[in-house]
Amino acid sequence: MNLFGKTSELQLEKDASSRYLPVVISSMIFLAALALAGLFSISAAVENWSSEISGNLTVEIQHVGGDAQDRKVEEVVSFLKRTPGVETVRPISVEEAASLLEPFLGRADIIRELPLPRLVEVTISENSPVDLNAMATTLNKAIPEARLNTHRPWLDKMIVLARSVQFLAAAIMLLISIVTVIIVIFAARTGLVMHRDVIEVLHLIGARDTYIARQFQTYFARLSFLGSLPGLAFAIIVMVLLSLLAGRLDATLLSAPTMVLEGWIALAMLPVIVALLTLFTVRWIVLSSLKRMM
Amino acid sequence: MVRFENVGMRYGMGPEVLRDINLHLEAGSFHFLTGPTGAGKSSLLKLLSLSHRPSRGLLTLFGKEASSLSRDELPELRRKIGVVYQEFRLLDHLTTLENVALPLRIAGVEEEQISRHVEELLDWVGLGNQVDARPPTLSGGEKQRVAIARAVINRPQLLIADEPTGSMDAEMGLRLMYLFQELNKIGTTVVVATHDLGLIRRFGYPVMYLKSGTLHHTHAEEYLQQFDRSLY
Ligand SMILES: Nc1ncnc2c1ncn2[C@@H]1O[C@H](COP(=O)(O)OP(=O)(O)OP(=O)(O)O)[C@@H](O)[C@H]1O
Ligand SMILES: [Mg+2]
Repeated sequence: MNLFGKTSELQLEKDASSRYLPVVISSMIFLAALALAGLFSISAAVENWSSEISGNLTVEIQHVGGDAQDRKVEEVVSFLKRTPGVETVRPISVEEAASLLEPFLGRADIIRELPLPRLVEVTISENSPVDLNAMATTLNKAIPEARLNTHRPWLDKMIVLARSVQFLAAAIMLLISIVTVIIVIFAARTGLVMHRDVIEVLHLIGARDTYIARQFQTYFARLSFLGSLPGLAFAIIVMVLLSLLAGRLDATLLSAPTMVLEGWIALAMLPVIVALLTLFTVRWIVLSSLKRMM
Repeated sequence: MVRFENVGMRYGMGPEVLRDINLHLEAGSFHFLTGPTGAGKSSLLKLLSLSHRPSRGLLTLFGKEASSLSRDELPELRRKIGVVYQEFRLLDHLTTLENVALPLRIAGVEEEQISRHVEELLDWVGLGNQVDARPPTLSGGEKQRVAIARAVINRPQLLIADEPTGSMDAEMGLRLMYLFQELNKIGTTVVVATHDLGLIRRFGYPVMYLKSGTLHHTHAEEYLQQFDRSLY
């Protein structure tokens, strides 16, 4: 058995015209793998942001000054503790806020005198169906000086951005599939023309169209499958390098593209999918061309 | 078995090379087909072997009208027909053995049975020591015998041979004619296209001859008489 699959009667493996196919498929798979990785790591990132951001909230309390200020903080804390779904409530003391701001504003003792809002850190327990908007309204009604900061508008914008990047990746995938199909069609057509005589003899000896189509489809499917492996391997290497780089940069938003399991499964399926796509394309093209022969 | 009614044939948009062909081949009959070069013998055999469609008329094979055949029925019918092509049409990259085995493989016969049958037949046609040779390395007569072996390997009901003995010596030619005769005895309908008056004289089967695109039927002696006369 030849590595690229011997076809018993048609000797397709001798065609110079089909040799370029694995190279083209390889490049296609490389691009497809990157697009797919982008698709999955972005959706993983979006999920991360959503859960992190909706899990960590801050409540801002307007500056009212003096003891009233501390009372307001206590009111907010007890309100939040009564709210179902809230896991931890931690008021940030004036000292802590001042030391947090010190690098930006200068001396902490002066900052303490500024009319800064007070902050309360809130975490929501995971998987609890808390309606943040409702919670924000009730909080605001109970204590008009307190405002729940849900980070929602910012998140929404990021999600829109992420979705459009995902849409782009999906469009790239579609384009790659179409180009692959077209290339495969050309390769199969060339094969049909080059082997016209042999095909005619096979027909005359009593071969069915499916018998001939089978030789074409298994040969080309194998070419596609084997061609896709180096492309996939190369794409994985590039992805690992990219995520190492991203880890170095310590970028907080696009943290190292962590792909979910589904992403890896989808990547592993790529060679199989391209082989199947090739198989059915070739079968269809060969059968429809043979129909026009006697 | 085979019936032509007012059949005409043309290549593409060219002129008709065959006109008003009427013929009826009984099952188990043996016919010679002759006529000058370019008369259309090979063309007529193309119609018979279902490799070309008539441009008009009715062609019935094994009780089925050729133009009404569906694409699925065609292979089944072709498997009942063995053809020796004038230009052999062997697959150059396959060995002698593989070439001859091809009709059986296509028909899905078991490998073990295939090799036994094929080797036996190749021995019989004197190619027992050439089973692994490929057609480009064979002589014309050897290729012709491979083509004949391929045509008869799956015991066709209709055997069509276009100049099957043209490339070999008289002795081997006779041997192959005897093979056809044997197959004919067990019921195969045989049509042999030939220029060889010696063969026609020796075997004496009914003769069909093509002249200016139409087919005439006659007996061997009658056909040969015109040549005998013209010799004097
Ligand atoms: N593929 C083809 N395309 C066009 N014309 C053809 C084709 N094959 C044969 N012809 C023409 O059909 C006519 C009959 O040819 P054919 O081969 O049937 O003759 P033949 O009797 O077999 O001759 P020969 O004894 O030399 O084998 C010829 O005039 C030839 O030019
Ligand atoms: Mg001829």
